[in-house]
Amino acid sequence: MRRWRQIGLGLVLMSMSLAAQAFHASDDGRLTLSGFGTLGLVHSDNSEAEFLRDIGQPKGAGEGWSARVDSLLGAQLGWRFDPRWDLVVQGISRYHDSGNYRPELSWAFVRYRPDPVLQLRAGRLGWDVFQLADSRYVGYAYPWARPPVDQFGMLQLTHIDGADVTFKQPLGSDLVLLKLYAGSSDSRIHVVDDLIADFDADAVYGGHLDYEHGPWRLRTSYTEVRSDVDYAGSIVNEIDSLQVPGLDGEREIERALGFSRLRLFSLGALYDSGPLQVQAMWNRSRTARHHGRIDSALLSVGYRVGQVTPYVAHSRAMTSSTNPDVTDIDQRTWTFGTRFDVARDIALKVQLDRIDTRRPGFLWRGDSDWEGGWSSIFSLGLDFIF
Amino acid sequence: MIRVRACLLIALLTLALPAMADIAIVVKAGSGVGQLTRSDAVNIFMGRYRKLPNGNPALPLDVAALKARFYRALVNKNLAEINAYWARLVFSGEASPPQQVATAAEMRQLVAHNPSAVGYLDSREVGDDLHVVLILNE
Repeated sequence: MRRWRQIGLGLVLMSMSLAAQAFHASDDGRLTLSGFGTLGLVHSDNSEAEFLRDIGQPKGAGEGWSARVDSLLGAQLGWRFDPRWDLVVQGISRYHDSGNYRPELSWAFVRYRPDPVLQLRAGRLGWDVFQLADSRYVGYAYPWARPPVDQFGMLQLTHIDGADVTFKQPLGSDLVLLKLYAGSSDSRIHVVDDLIADFDADAVYGGHLDYEHGPWRLRTSYTEVRSDVDYAGSIVNEIDSLQVPGLDGEREIERALGFSRLRLFSLGALYDSGPLQVQAMWNRSRTARHHGRIDSALLSVGYRVGQVTPYVAHSRAMTSSTNPDVTDIDQRTWTFGTRFDVARDIALKVQLDRIDTRRPGFLWRGDSDWEGGWSSIFSLGLDFIF
Repeated sequence: MIRVRACLLIALLTLALPAMADIAIVVKAGSGVGQLTRSDAVNIFMGRYRKLPNGNPALPLDVAALKARFYRALVNKNLAEINAYWARLVFSGEASPPQQVATAAEMRQLVAHNPSAVGYLDSREVGDDLHVVLILNE
């Protein structure tokens, strides 16, 4: 893991020095610097729990205004050193699992495209676990203030260190695409306030099959994540402090949650025709024990009129397990918003989320006495690319 | 007299409009590509599958002056949507947008010298060194 980080850092430094020497090369399209960012402001009316964008964030947006959950900045350097080969390095600064905005290396890979039907990439890659998952921080790319939390907030990993291969095959005017990938990763998620799970995923592998027909893009995907999970926090300490022979906090929690082996299935459909954009997705993750299941679903519709795109979305997250010690999550969200393309490469967003939390869980931070209820989250976002 | 002039003007406009509105997708003359279907063109310019019917890789070019009209005619999208589309593919490291060219003259130059290049022009500006593979009506 550490070695990959060093390789990644080396690639960044190498590219930076090349950028310094040869920046004029961007005129012929070989060396490019680009970036994306979001200034996001969130208002929550929930006084008992903090709203999160994803389960990696140790703190969320409490009652009132907060700029923490959505604001971010990313930059990418691309270098095409041969018609078939290129190098991509991307970094991002956002509020994440370390509790600050420390920049992270999101991608650093070499790509080989010997032919339009085949693409190979190796290095640090986006976790393309379902549609839009590997572009979920690029606010300018989608209509919403953020990808619906019920669906995207539960993703455990941002990137993998490994390789992927993509095959494309046209069928008449349709296109079939198969992508397979394998690698390793690590991440930290906050299960509840006093329980942290550190994933050291030594094997992440999977793939997806896409079928593209006119405005339709259909995807089915499967991923498996095998990790050494280290649990930490006061819950672990409490179990250990009982000092019952043979009782080990971490082992008990793994027995309850079964996060060491996750399997993710996903179905997705995008319909994108002229001004109309519709997205539908369904995911099911299975944990290793107690028939643990994490389900989520999303339906979103947007329609552009000139430079204005109103949208509405409904999403849902549910977990279930046969373990009586674990409480399940049940949450539904109605999202209403509008994207305004105010200037070239700049979009403004206004969004209201009405969240019906029937059984709260790791999608919120804070008071574990909170029994759920309705919350209203109002978001203002400014998204840009350069 | 005024009426006759008005009729003439309308007749001229109706004759002139379709010609002005057409965009021709072009390749190098004699490169062995006869025609492209609309979905071939979408695949090439939207980065889904960049291969020409003769087996060559396709290198699409965008011309700044004509870009908004071109994407309106090809996929009925405005430039903000096209930029958003590419933001997703570029920042997930999946694909790159067409090479950007400032003027039609520059585009003509590049296409005439590269059998893989695919560009677009106002259909009245196609010269002998280029071959039209698809006409997009607006």
